[in-house]
Amino acid sequence: MQDYKAKSIYLFHGILNTVSLKTIKLTSKDHAFVCEGRPSLEAGRQTSGILLNQGITPTVISDNMAGFLFFKGLVKEVIVACQYADDTGALCDIGALILAVLAKEHKVPLKLIVADRRTRFLGDPEEISSFEGQRIAPEETHGYVPLVEWVPAKYLRKWHKIWVQKS
Amino acid sequence: MSFESPLFWPAYIKEDVLYVLDETLVPSKLKYIPVKNVKAAVAVIREMKTRAFGQFLVVLNTFLLELEGDLEGNCPLEKQGTVPIKGTVPFNGTALIIKHLEDVAHKLNNSRPTFPFAEVTGIVVGAAQKAAANGVDPRLAVVKTVQGFLAGIRARRLQRVQEIADTLHDKDHVLTHCNVSGELAMAASIAAAQGKHVTFFATETRPYMQGAKLTVWELQKAGVHVTLVADNTVASLMTEGFVNKVIIGSDRSAANGDIANKIGSYQIAVLAREFGIPLIVLTQPSRSVASGEDMPIELRDADELLVFDGKKIFGPQVKGFYPGFDVVPHQLITKAIAIHAGL
Repeated sequence: MQDYKAKSIYLFHGILNTVSLKTIKLTSKDHAFVCEGRPSLEAGRQTSGILLNQGITPTVISDNMAGFLFFKGLVKEVIVACQYADDTGALCDIGALILAVLAKEHKVPLKLIVADRRTRFLGDPEEISSFEGQRIAPEETHGYVPLVEWVPAKYLRKWHKIWVQKS
Repeated sequence: MSFESPLFWPAYIKEDVLYVLDETLVPSKLKYIPVKNVKAAVAVIREMKTRAFGQFLVVLNTFLLELEGDLEGNCPLEKQGTVPIKGTVPFNGTALIIKHLEDVAHKLNNSRPTFPFAEVTGIVVGAAQKAAANGVDPRLAVVKTVQGFLAGIRARRLQRVQEIADTLHDKDHVLTHCNVSGELAMAASIAAAQGKHVTFFATETRPYMQGAKLTVWELQKAGVHVTLVADNTVASLMTEGFVNKVIIGSDRSAANGDIANKIGSYQIAVLAREFGIPLIVLTQPSRSVASGEDMPIELRDADELLVFDGKKIFGPQVKGFYPGFDVVPHQLITKAIAIHAGL
C-alpha cells in the first residue's frame, strides 16, 4: 500500500488499444491499475499488454476492487473506453458506470476515449457461469451478461476530457 | 419449512476431530477437512477453505480440540454435553493450561488480520483465567463457554434469519454480494413459504467467486430464483431497475457502525445510495474499534487473482493487487440487522 501511495494511480477500464493509450502520458511516478474486465478478460489482457509494450508494468485488479482504490484516495485519473459518446452520455464497456459514479463521489477526473469499435451488447450466460473455460457455478445457473452500459452525461462533467480515437 | 444450507453451520466436532466444510470445492463437492489442532485450524482459515461464519466456528471449536490434544488419560470432568473431555492434568497444571490456551488464541488471532478473532478468543481465554483464579478447573470453563457460545449464536442466527425474511417483500429483486453463510438462503425459503415471490441477483465475487460457487448454489437449493452476474454489472442492474434492495453480510463492525466486508462492498454501497436503493447489512456489533479506518485490511497474495487452475491468466510480467475487504462507512448503510454474539 505504501508503494502505491507514493505514486499517482491511473485506473484503466474497457478495451483500449495502442493508439488510444498513446494519449495517456504516464511517467515513472505513475502507476497503472487495470480492471480485468469480466467475463472475457479481454480488456485486462489487451490494456496490460499495451502498457507493457510501453515500458509500464500494469497492476491488474478484479472489477470489484476499484472502489477500494478510490476509498483509499489513491486514484488520480480514470481512463474509460467507450464505443460512442454524445451530449447525452456515452456507451461504454460494462462496469464504466461504476467507475463514473465513484469518480463523481471522489471528485476524480475521468477521461473517455471513444474508440470506433462495436461489440456484442449481451453475452451468453455460460460466459459468467464459467471462468477461463472451466465451469464454476452450478449446472443450469441463470446468468445475465450485459457487455455494455450507458453512462449518462451527468456523470461526465466538464473535467471529463474526451479523446476521439481515429479508426 | 426452512432450508438449512451446509454453509449455515459449516464446521462440527465429531470424535475429537473438527470437520470443516471446504468451501472452495462447493458446488462440485461437499468435502469436510479434518482438523485436529490449532496449526491445521489456522491453515484452513488462512487458505480460505472456510470464511465468514465458518471461521468463527473453527476458532471456537479449536479450543476444544486443543484441550483434547493436550491432555491424556481419564477425564476428571466427565463428558460435557457432546464434547468429551479426556485428561488427567492435575489441578496444579492450571498455569500450563492457561498458557496453552493463550498460545492457541495468539495463533488464531494472527491467522487473518481483518476478522476480529481476538474478540472471540479473548472471551474463551478470559473465562478460563477467571475460573483458574477462582480455583476451578479452567478446562470446564472453556467447554462451558464454547458450548454456550455456540448454542446461543445458533439461536440468535435463526432469529436474525426471521428478521431477514420479514425484510423480504413480495416482488422484491435483491442483489447480494459474496456469501452470507446460509442466512439469506434460509430467509429466502421462509419468504417463499409465506407466499412472497422474491428473486435474487448474486455477484460472481472475484477472485474466489463465492457468489458463483456458494450463493447461487444455496439459493438454488432453497428453491428460489437466482441470477448470476459479473461484479461489473452492479450499476447497470440498479439503473435498469432490476434490483430494489441490496443485502450483504459483514465480517466486522466498528463502534460508529462502519463495517468491513468482502472486497466490492464499498462500490456497491456507493452505487446503492446513488440510485436510491436500500442497503441492508447483516452485522455483528462491536465496539473494539472506533471506526472503519481502524480496521486492518488484509492484502492477499496477488497470485490468487492472477493465477487460475495453475496458469497465469494475464501476461507473466503483469502484477496484481488483491485487498480482501472493503470498509463501508455507516452513512451508506440504510439498515443493519444485528446479531449480538454475546461479545
